[in-house]
Amino acid sequence: MTAAGAGVTPPVRASLMITCLGDLLFPEVGVAMVKLLRGLGVEVDFPEGQTCCGLPLFNSGYHHEAAAVAGRTMALFERSEHVVVPSGSCAWMVKTEYPGLFKDDPRRRAAAESLADRTRELSQFLVEVLGVTRVESPFRGTVTYHDSCHLLRGLGESRSPRTLLRGAPGVTLVELPGADQCCGFGGSFSVRLPEVSTAILERKLASVEGTGADCVVACDAGCLMQMGGGLSRKGSRVRALHLAQVLSGEDGA
Amino acid sequence: MSDAELRVPFPQRAGAALKDAFLQEALTIATTKFIDLRKEAFAGFPAGEALRDQARRIKEATLQRLDAHLGRLADNVERLGGHVHWASTGAEAREIVLRLCRERGVRTVVKSKSMATEEIDLNEALEGAGVTPIETDLGEYIIQLAGEKPSHIIAPAIHKTKGQVAELFSKALDGRFAADPEVLTAAARKELRQKFLDADMGITGANFAVAETGTVVLVTNEGNGRMVTSLPRVHVAVMGMEKVIPSMTDLMVFLAILARSATGQQLSSYTTLVRGPRQPGELEGPEEFHLILLDSGRIRQIAGPLREALYCLRCGACLNVCPVYRQIGGHAYGHTYPGPIGILLTAMLRGTESVKELAHASTLCGACKDVCPVRIDIPRMLIELREHVDQEKVAPWAERAMFRAARRIMSSPALFRMGARVGRLLQAPWVRGGRVRRLPLFLGRWTATRDLPPVAQRTFSERWKDLAGGPPGDGRRGRRAP
Amino acid sequence: MTTRAEFLGRVGEEMRKTPGLFPAETAERPARPGEAAEAVRRQMAERWPQALERFIREFERVAGIFHRVRGMAEVPGVIRAIAHERGARELVTWAPGVLGVDLRESLGADGLTVTPAPAGADEAARLRHREEAARAGIGVTGADLALAETGTLILLSGAGRPRSTSLLPETHVAVFGRPAMVESLEQVGILLEELHVDPARSMSGAVITFITGPSRTADIELTLTRGVHGPKYVHAIFVDE
Repeated sequence: MTAAGAGVTPPVRASLMITCLGDLLFPEVGVAMVKLLRGLGVEVDFPEGQTCCGLPLFNSGYHHEAAAVAGRTMALFERSEHVVVPSGSCAWMVKTEYPGLFKDDPRRRAAAESLADRTRELSQFLVEVLGVTRVESPFRGTVTYHDSCHLLRGLGESRSPRTLLRGAPGVTLVELPGADQCCGFGGSFSVRLPEVSTAILERKLASVEGTGADCVVACDAGCLMQMGGGLSRKGSRVRALHLAQVLSGEDGA
Repeated sequence: MSDAELRVPFPQRAGAALKDAFLQEALTIATTKFIDLRKEAFAGFPAGEALRDQARRIKEATLQRLDAHLGRLADNVERLGGHVHWASTGAEAREIVLRLCRERGVRTVVKSKSMATEEIDLNEALEGAGVTPIETDLGEYIIQLAGEKPSHIIAPAIHKTKGQVAELFSKALDGRFAADPEVLTAAARKELRQKFLDADMGITGANFAVAETGTVVLVTNEGNGRMVTSLPRVHVAVMGMEKVIPSMTDLMVFLAILARSATGQQLSSYTTLVRGPRQPGELEGPEEFHLILLDSGRIRQIAGPLREALYCLRCGACLNVCPVYRQIGGHAYGHTYPGPIGILLTAMLRGTESVKELAHASTLCGACKDVCPVRIDIPRMLIELREHVDQEKVAPWAERAMFRAARRIMSSPALFRMGARVGRLLQAPWVRGGRVRRLPLFLGRWTATRDLPPVAQRTFSERWKDLAGGPPGDGRRGRRAP
Repeated sequence: MTTRAEFLGRVGEEMRKTPGLFPAETAERPARPGEAAEAVRRQMAERWPQALERFIREFERVAGIFHRVRGMAEVPGVIRAIAHERGARELVTWAPGVLGVDLRESLGADGLTVTPAPAGADEAARLRHREEAARAGIGVTGADLALAETGTLILLSGAGRPRSTSLLPETHVAVFGRPAMVESLEQVGILLEELHVDPARSMSGAVITFITGPSRTADIELTLTRGVHGPKYVHAIFVDE
């Protein structure tokens, strides 16, 4: 196959927004994403100096602080063609909330809108930009999928992750009863009201374990921390995995 | 909730609710049932989504000409022989009712379910003045006997077992009643029937008031709304001023979606349109009709951050889907209106300070916004409330300092990296089997019930140099949709 | 005490501080309600059979009991059967002029006591009728509209049409024919707009009641029970002439 002539498309280039939780607590998810995306012919880069998208500040009402952090993030990804995010909540923050943080600053607002357009959560990037619905993953097992709130309701996305899971040949997807119900994380909520957060989590884990699946899959680090933390404390054999880990086979198994 | 009870911090009230096994079961069954009923109702109603959008627009449009609509409503009520009263505060509204009772020699009042009258603590005021208020909505009657407040906007006694109800009835009605809903309902019917016939005054709320015609609209299921507005000689309706809608045509839009959202019914058993006192030549109905329009913090929100909360139809759909409400029930919130919209309404009616804890009683999951018939963006307003709680320095100093520090760390890659290194060092004693199982202080709230992944030995940023420069693959691992 | 001017003044003051959240309009009302209502009636003159079919389905879905007779002459027979089934001896009814039938004659012979709405509206008549309605086992009314979409009966109160007839007795029977049939809430809206153009002329009473099935509650452990304060049984008799 030669590179000359018409008909050869240049590789898609995407920058990885790793997110604060991803960077500090789930680097293996980042590694899985890189492997997955490269396997699909994507040129992956990683703007260095990333910290946080500002969501925790925003959700607690510290909008001024959130805007400061958002401004930094926008600058880092200024030249990225596509930005791919492993967490639905961070993608939501960038896509829907960044522009509003700068409503009185037309220049930065325009920059925020530009970034919002170029940013997608991982499953959305795979399906919408790459047009991929079937990934040849070495993963084998039964999984059940939890809809994280910001991806489901904030970004209106519930199909792409399921499409991708069904498309992976070794994966059996079992639908989770109450998949659209919150896991109880809610960011600072999880430590402000830990008992309520845990009660909500217990309801979720009962559903998960009821499916008989080997693992519960989500597209959000917060949900994975919450569900994974609960499953681990119970000594459950069920694992909490990120979509990228299932699709790349980098599930640490 | 009494001031003494409110002094118990919200997390403790919530904790108590979590330990109440019956409440937990009752909440799960009831909210699940309401969720399913609502889903079914809208699944079989394709016109529903457009009607919800239209209902939202009508509410907004009404606010944009609110003074004109209220003026027209008042004119029409008065033209029909009714009286209109304007209450700036709950206290004023109570005073108006008490004055009417004094002037009309009222000794007993029968009440149809009204959140507005709960909001202004009307029953206590009536009792204090020697007037006996009798709640006639079965759920309200039950909690009145129990001396409690409602725990759900449309199913006030959701937290009571039939056994508890049987006990309450047996004590209050001097008999022995089986723990059977049919038996208990029949007992209430018999007991309350005479009260309806004997009462001097009927007090209701209003779901809507149609400005164009001077009509007050009651959406009910039991028939007590009809009794209360037809049998006693005086009818008083207490209504939040934002419930006014312009016309009968507008009313149909709301009727189409209200019952479906609340209980999954197409229409409630009774929708009663009341135009003032009885007409000349009409045999039955009250001699007098009084409409009390209530401000109590609502007017201030016309141009305020909680303006959208004025659209609320009080259907209760948001309570049923809220992960927090579903776990703790209505009482733990501590105020008249619980659940997601309840937090906003409490801020509206009692000020920001009253919700400094409640503003955080949400995971911001957005399920409430999904089911709200008029699509109120509750999560957005909760976040804004949190902002006000911060700005008005209502939140504790330590918390505000912590978030300012967080901002500094998030704004500096160097600080962020250092934070990771510090985290790795500090966590070392607590890591077991690749997981953090215990953490001190504030973070112990997580580890009390959940493990935590430790700060990675190498963050992704630190690992990138091993991954950087890797080529894109040959694309064979993925396949596009045909 | 707050005056109207003060209250509305504050409302206006707040309104002026903001254009609102988004451009919005209220529902479009019929420009000429009389004409629009006529159009509905013309439409229903054609479509009443389909409306009836749907009404029956929805009415029964909310536990209504439906009967169909060919003429008013058959109505007493149906009511007699209902009275027998329910063990009811006393009935209250709307005025015969409103109902289109005088049940005293036809049912009186069977030992059933029928008390129509009294002519007078004085206090004595009111108290007496209230007792009668409270004692009666069955209340017989007409229905001004029968809404197919939801199986709803719509009743106007007024002279000869007491509210208690469809409220106090354990069983409510509504008698109506083709002219009452409507299909949608939207049509009801149009007819209500027409009614209120000159309400003093079109309505002699103050209340319009939409009745969708019997009185009900699920307040005790979410178990559905009927006949809380209002009727436990609702019958519709459709007269096909």
